[in-house]
Amino acid sequence: MSAAFWVWFGIAIYIAVGLAIAIMARRQLGAGMSEFFLANRRLGGFISALTYSATTYSAFMMIGLAGLTYFSGVGALGFELTYLCGMFMMVFFLPRFWLVGKKYGYVSPMELLSDRYQSKWVGATTAILALVFLVPYGAVQLMGVGYLMNGISQGVIPVVAGIIIAVVCAIAWSSIAGLRSVAWTDAFQALIMIVVSAAVLGVVVAALGGFGSFFGKLESAVPGMLTVPTAKGAWNINMFIGLALPWLFFLISNPQVSQRLFIPKSVTAMKQMLGGFLVFGFIYTLISVLWGFSATLLVPGLDKGDLATPALLALPIIPTGLAIIVMIGITAAAISTIDSILLTLSSVWARDIHKGLINPKVSEAGELRVGQWVIPIMAIIAFVFAWWVAEKPGLDFMIAPLSAAASAGLLMAVPTIFGAFFWKRATATGAIVSCIVGAIVVLLFQITGWKPLGWWPGTWGFIVCVVLFVGVSLATKPPKEKAEEFIGYLREALKKSNFI
Amino acid sequence: MTKFAWAWTWFAFLLALNIAIPWFVLTHVEKMSGAFLFWAVWVAVAITSAFVIFLKWREVER
Repeated sequence: MSAAFWVWFGIAIYIAVGLAIAIMARRQLGAGMSEFFLANRRLGGFISALTYSATTYSAFMMIGLAGLTYFSGVGALGFELTYLCGMFMMVFFLPRFWLVGKKYGYVSPMELLSDRYQSKWVGATTAILALVFLVPYGAVQLMGVGYLMNGISQGVIPVVAGIIIAVVCAIAWSSIAGLRSVAWTDAFQALIMIVVSAAVLGVVVAALGGFGSFFGKLESAVPGMLTVPTAKGAWNINMFIGLALPWLFFLISNPQVSQRLFIPKSVTAMKQMLGGFLVFGFIYTLISVLWGFSATLLVPGLDKGDLATPALLALPIIPTGLAIIVMIGITAAAISTIDSILLTLSSVWARDIHKGLINPKVSEAGELRVGQWVIPIMAIIAFVFAWWVAEKPGLDFMIAPLSAAASAGLLMAVPTIFGAFFWKRATATGAIVSCIVGAIVVLLFQITGWKPLGWWPGTWGFIVCVVLFVGVSLATKPPKEKAEEFIGYLREALKKSNFI
Repeated sequence: MTKFAWAWTWFAFLLALNIAIPWFVLTHVEKMSGAFLFWAVWVAVAITSAFVIFLKWREVER
């Protein structure tokens, strides 16, 4: 039987199991926005940890990060682990998001900002920021799936067929039962991701003679891969900060993950979610980086880092069956991110743009209908973007740069989020101006490739954004009463559960 | 110093190490025991620190 047959067979099994899980999740679906988009804030710790993990870790890890490691060495590990170190900030933000989410009934992180700053325009601005930067990010995940299926089936499955499969799955997982189907299928997909990536790494390391021999070969055979800055100049400190800064604040800047902070049903579930994710993230990051290092030994000389994973999977030492299971694992990583993005963007559109700006008197049922309609519309936009980009020569693999660019744009909401929780003097005008100007700076620098002093677009955008946020806030009038009430409530509530 | 201030200070210290050690101290150590091991241990310390803090959280009737 051909590789293409086994690819189709593997995809069919994956879709059948995912669909069965999503339909099972639907049995528990109730009514209303909070139910559809947040599973009524009643998810247990285990499912919360896995959905957080699957949403956070996308095709970027086994293709983009592995490729970055292949191309540039150990700096890729430091960059990705900076994100995981940033998760330390969850000890501040997780309880705060969770407490105010329960008290005020927020559905989206943008709604939190609108209420805290007493301005629907703050929510709308951050919502547009998310729409602008997350749709291309989602599209890149779709392309990753398309290229992977195309590569492993040896060209039999067209790229566009892979993209369509990913779109249909993402729409199904997010539409069938909202967050319930997303969270349950995420849990299934997170387990696939970690198990198959560990298995294939084991096969590759065994082929290299075990970990001792693998590390030995890496130290002697490929000079410059284990230090920063790298000898061939792939990593320098500006690049490291430019890439790591958006990653450091990913936990609050990306709404598809910060919305997850509303969902645990209890303090115990929160602890399980955070602890489970930290362990998952540590293991998955090490696997992805070691995978990239093994590619440097086994398939040297590739033109692009993002080709490392497909090239490694095509080696005879990887059995076809295992290669297909890995493809399913990477597909799962991509789809579990896309469906969460779709769900979050649809909730943001329904709550912060439709209800916030267009039709404030809409009923909750009407708002939910809008959100459910937006899911396939967003998916189609992402599909069109992915298809369009896939036709462009030279842009076949662009997961790492577009992921970094998207996060650099979303980084502009970070001062606004910090201000909401920690600074009573913060104002709506400061938030809006800093988000808009910061995003424009990032986009301009990204498009022109301009890097004054060698600093990256995200670094410049963030500096401009922080200065404007503080400066404009000090020059304008804060929502004093709301700030006192919001931060005052948190101060008291945090003490009760020994949060800090 | 409050627990809140301690936690932010500790986090800032970890971030400072993230730059100082691999970028200035281990620049010529071309071994797995160099930057690779540093970053692995460094993030394990960060994760452990988070565990130390959040394991003290307690359930309260609301």
